Amino acid sequence: MIASPQTSLAPERRTPMTEADRGLTYRPNVDIADCGNELVLVADIPGSAADQIDVSFDDGILAIAATVPGRPRTGTPVRQEYGVGDYRRSFQIGEGFDGSQIAAAYRNGVLTVRIPRLAAVRPRTIPVAAG
Amino acid sequence: MQMLRVGYAHPLEDLRDEMDRLWTTLTAAPPLHGWTRQTTSEPFPAVNIFETDEAILVEAELPGLEAADLEITAIDDELTLTGRRVETIEPAATADTTSEAVDEQPKKITWHRRERGVGNFERRLSLPTAVDPEGVEARLLGGVLTVTCPKAAACRPHKVAVTAN
Repeated sequence: MIASPQTSLAPERRTPMTEADRGLTYRPNVDIADCGNELVLVADIPGSAADQIDVSFDDGILAIAATVPGRPRTGTPVRQEYGVGDYRRSFQIGEGFDGSQIAAAYRNGVLTVRIPRLAAVRPRTIPVAAG
Repeated sequence: MQMLRVGYAHPLEDLRDEMDRLWTTLTAAPPLHGWTRQTTSEPFPAVNIFETDEAILVEAELPGLEAADLEITAIDDELTLTGRRVETIEPAATADTTSEAVDEQPKKITWHRRERGVGNFERRLSLPTAVDPEGVEARLLGGVLTVTCPKAAACRPHKVAVTAN
């Protein structure tokens, strides 16, 4: 169902932030699950907001772009293990999904995108009538 | 990885254990720090720490956690973050959008990607100075945790008034 993802501009690892790193985009970690009647994509996008996230579906490509506003920094860095920046990632979604019915929600830094399967291709059991 | 064995074990038992372990890792959700980092035992969550004259600021990204899932303890110069991230895709969550015919289907999830990881974590951080545990404040907003730890009085810079005489 899911082909290989589009090549991402973001580095795999989120390296500590330096001046030069500003403007880098990161690749969010995702879970993708096929729940039979829909495809659910869950992405870790901490520090963004619902109105800062664009989810688009075009020609079988689901694209996520999230803006993460810079956090005000006070003090001197003692330890930096991750960088802060925008998130971007896209996926090739297979046939049989209804691109016009995509629902997306953002909560606690997690984006959940639900893509319903087209009714025609949903799995179903056909009752066998006796007689 | 390293296992201490006492006594005799058949080599095939090792192989079986290894297969069991492999099977478990393939079918379970990834650990919080991800598959690729497992060998390097990269700590979770990653933190950024800043220091001002008055306080130590600890920032961590914990997407998917509610405030109730998180416990923070502070003592002297040590801050501990303990918590748990739970599975977010529940089979039941899909039931609302469907027709009856689909509801009768057993809710089976096929994973295409699992990168996020679930489970418990504990991270002990050594802060650059001792802090006042009573004054520690934590805020979890949009998956970003910010812990403000005021420095212990003894560790704050003191401005010394110079008297001219």
